[in-house]
Amino acid sequence: MIKILKYSFIFLVLFSSTSCEKILFEEELASIDPFVNFNYLWEECDKKYAYFEVKNIDWDAVKEEYSAKLYKGMTQDSLFNVLGGMLTELRDDHTNLFSEFNVSSFGVSYLGQDNFDWRIIVENYITQDHYRTGPFRHNFLDNKEIGYVRFPAFTGEINGINLDFILNRYIDTKGLIIDLRENGGGAVADVFNLLSRFVSSETLVNFSRIKNGPGHDDFSQPLPVILKPSSRLIYTKKVAVLTDRGTYSAGSFTSLATKAIPNMVLIGDTTGGGLGLPNGGQLPNGWQYRFSITQALTLDKSPDFENGVPPDIRVLIDWSDLTKDEILERAISELQ
Amino acid sequence: MHQTGFSILFLLIFLFLGDINYTQAQSKNSHPSNDDSILTKKEMRKQIPMYIAIGLGTNNSMFRDYATSPLDYSGRVSQISLSRYKLNYKRETELGFSYDFGSYQNSYNNSFASSDLKRFELYFSKLYKVKLFEAIGVNTKLGFLLAGNGNFRINRALQNNGVGIDIFANLLGSIKFTKDISRVVAKDKKFLFIKYKLKEKKRDLAFRINMGLINSSYRNGYVYTGQSTILNDAMVFDDYEFDIFSGIRVSSRLDYTRYLNNKNAVQLSYIWDAYSSGEELDEFLMAHHIIRLTLLFNTNNR
Repeated sequence: MIKILKYSFIFLVLFSSTSCEKILFEEELASIDPFVNFNYLWEECDKKYAYFEVKNIDWDAVKEEYSAKLYKGMTQDSLFNVLGGMLTELRDDHTNLFSEFNVSSFGVSYLGQDNFDWRIIVENYITQDHYRTGPFRHNFLDNKEIGYVRFPAFTGEINGINLDFILNRYIDTKGLIIDLRENGGGAVADVFNLLSRFVSSETLVNFSRIKNGPGHDDFSQPLPVILKPSSRLIYTKKVAVLTDRGTYSAGSFTSLATKAIPNMVLIGDTTGGGLGLPNGGQLPNGWQYRFSITQALTLDKSPDFENGVPPDIRVLIDWSDLTKDEILERAISELQ
Repeated sequence: MHQTGFSILFLLIFLFLGDINYTQAQSKNSHPSNDDSILTKKEMRKQIPMYIAIGLGTNNSMFRDYATSPLDYSGRVSQISLSRYKLNYKRETELGFSYDFGSYQNSYNNSFASSDLKRFELYFSKLYKVKLFEAIGVNTKLGFLLAGNGNFRINRALQNNGVGIDIFANLLGSIKFTKDISRVVAKDKKFLFIKYKLKEKKRDLAFRINMGLINSSYRNGYVYTGQSTILNDAMVFDDYEFDIFSGIRVSSRLDYTRYLNNKNAVQLSYIWDAYSSGEELDEFLMAHHIIRLTLLFNTNNR
């Protein structure tokens, strides 16, 4: 009898523990219901997305338009197109929906003409014998008077050794060209590692603020972004940074910073923007999403460069001559 | 399976160290004796048996972090624990830590995500005997449990929100019931034609409930990730906020303890622990169901 009581007691303890958990925690929100997922995503963006006002987006109107496309029993593919379409209204390539079968994106690089062809540069400027150092490709131009450095993506691989080699190689040139066209971004740490080689004192390059409430204009106080000079080799001559609509995210952060660095000039087309740090999350149906939750501000605290950092000298490629890169040519003449 | 095998090996080694047969020697350890009255308080404290407790366990656990996902992540993770444990009939004190590690998964609607989690907990507990249920031979103690724990989570599916660090500090009120279920007299038994003898055994069964009184958390800010990386000033607790009263915590623990004649002991425990923090947009829920085997090494020969 005592044994029965003992085992009953143990069972009761185990059972009560799992039951208590159900009382303490509300049920999981897992659901494939299109309406549940639509509302979840719309509300997450509504409370946290950073650029409604800058882009003049009426998010309630977007809800009205896209919720009308929902119906019970719609396929996963159809639901993805509705949710992805809604996110595309934010006109932001830091805003995506991810599923096992598709990824939504806006495609900011298609807002302007194509302004970059690597083959033109290799065949007419730097030859196939150019150097490959870390994430960079580089060589001399214009009778060794100018250095050209192609940086295609912020892969997080910039380090002191590869930058020392490149800057030492071009230390006696008149100027340096850093080509960020079609650079879609990546690791922000690379931005500061790269730019720290072109300033000799601490430089305020921009401000940043982060969403801190559900209102579309609820942000923290703007905080300064300070670029510190590297303790290693620094290049103090003129630097031309080439950009186009495909220059995005970390590429745009770099472009924004050049506005505050006296010896840097931005040449080419307006960048794609992407100056908001994207978050990440999951919907009740398991799909993943991301959107921007910070604003990068200019030195006069304007968030408008999210729509693209304008160049100091606007030049576009003329595709009628495939032996010439007009943007690169203009940079060479600026550095003379 | 690998973990279970390790636990069994751990137990066998321990049992090999000491004679499992019970002797009458330890009765003073757990029950008051007349000698107590002639000892000073300091001497009495020295008489309290003290143990170093080393535990290995398996933790069937789940969490949900609304700041990044409305979905449950669950997993069976491993736990190790180490504590200093002092107890007798009148009071008990425990100071220790535990470390859980493993992977949690969510698989739903053909989408799969995994979160690697490391969890540290530091705890201190003190309990004092009260006159409750003595008539039915139950030793009841009241006291508190102070627990601080931190989760370090990495979930690549959540991209820039992929790293989560949560810190919780809780003061819990505790009540513990202990029933001595020792076999004081050896028994001769027979099963079919097989005769065998059940020897004396010193053992007890304890059940403890802890209820959160002060539940504090140090967690991410409004949009979960911070902006320190784009400020060129990367920091770990980026945009974190401290909330002194946030959420709830409830836990319970069932211990079966078998004392050996070398004054060491073996304890098998089932621990349930559930807590929440935050509200609506960033609510965090976590629950643990831990089966733990603990070896208690007596360090003062009491």
